[in-house]
Amino acid sequence: MAELPGKALARELIDESEAESRKTPMQDVIAAVRQRGLDKDTANRLIGRLWTLERMFYYIYGGWGQGLEMNDFPPSVKYLFARQIVDDSTHEMLYMDALLRQGCVKTQKEAFRHPYGKFAVDSATAYYVFSLRNLATYSHPVRIAALNLGPKIIEFAWMEGLAEAIADPDLKQAFASQTVENKSHINMGRRIVEEFIQKPVEMELCRWACRSARQDYRRFLHETSDFALQRQTPPPPVARVRVTD
Amino acid sequence: MSLKIDHERCTECRMCYIVCRELDINAVYVALEPLHRIEIDIDACTYPGCTACLMYCPAEGSIVEAATGRSMVPPPPEAWQTGE
Repeated sequence: MAELPGKALARELIDESEAESRKTPMQDVIAAVRQRGLDKDTANRLIGRLWTLERMFYYIYGGWGQGLEMNDFPPSVKYLFARQIVDDSTHEMLYMDALLRQGCVKTQKEAFRHPYGKFAVDSATAYYVFSLRNLATYSHPVRIAALNLGPKIIEFAWMEGLAEAIADPDLKQAFASQTVENKSHINMGRRIVEEFIQKPVEMELCRWACRSARQDYRRFLHETSDFALQRQTPPPPVARVRVTD
Repeated sequence: MSLKIDHERCTECRMCYIVCRELDINAVYVALEPLHRIEIDIDACTYPGCTACLMYCPAEGSIVEAATGRSMVPPPPEAWQTGE
């Protein structure tokens, strides 16, 4: 079997994201849960913010989907993307169910207005969402590299740690049950980069997009962990990202 | 009387989930296991008072009466009379 052209790049992006995943703002949340357990308000704050992001993936993927054209990629690539849309919508539903089950809100409609679940335009959540949505104008493998080999790897790590730390069986499962799907998104990202990223310019675009996505996701995690733990901390230093487009 | 999902027939289209949330009944939920299948919380479900999920379900036989196993999709005539 011929060597896949993007194999080294996929490995490089995975290694970078795995290195970053060992130290994220979510470590503070995990440490607090280990120490004091997860009280109801903290759980609602955390899940409220995660739900806000997750529901915005309808908007992000909507934009990405518009960029897919007939016969530009094999059907398998589009099938995998469709699968990822369904999975992320499932995760949105899991968070919604958790908010209802915890008694944070009585109805889904209420959740949209609740301060824990409200979408604010001047937030790190919005910054990350718009940043991902803007990848709509790039080719599908580039944006999949950015998300699936960037933030998805970081998410996989903190979610595993958080699920392990939570004692409440329902809340634990709300996170633990996402593992298989998240792993499959990472594997899908690896495969797409390995197979479809061939030219040096595409490789450089992937590096840039993945770095940007990780940086914006880090901001989101910073905001989310601060919100969950009810603390005010200065924003993280922003690394300079070279724009190549 | 209560309803349950027949996972052999359900296509996981999630129309029942959406309808149930829209009506603020919230009886349909995502199971907390890796397959993430749709389930019905019999304590929250108001069937036969509400039959909305039956009206929107596209997969024949995928929602059944828990006690008898009787298929409720497509909805039998009485479902149209008792539902909202």
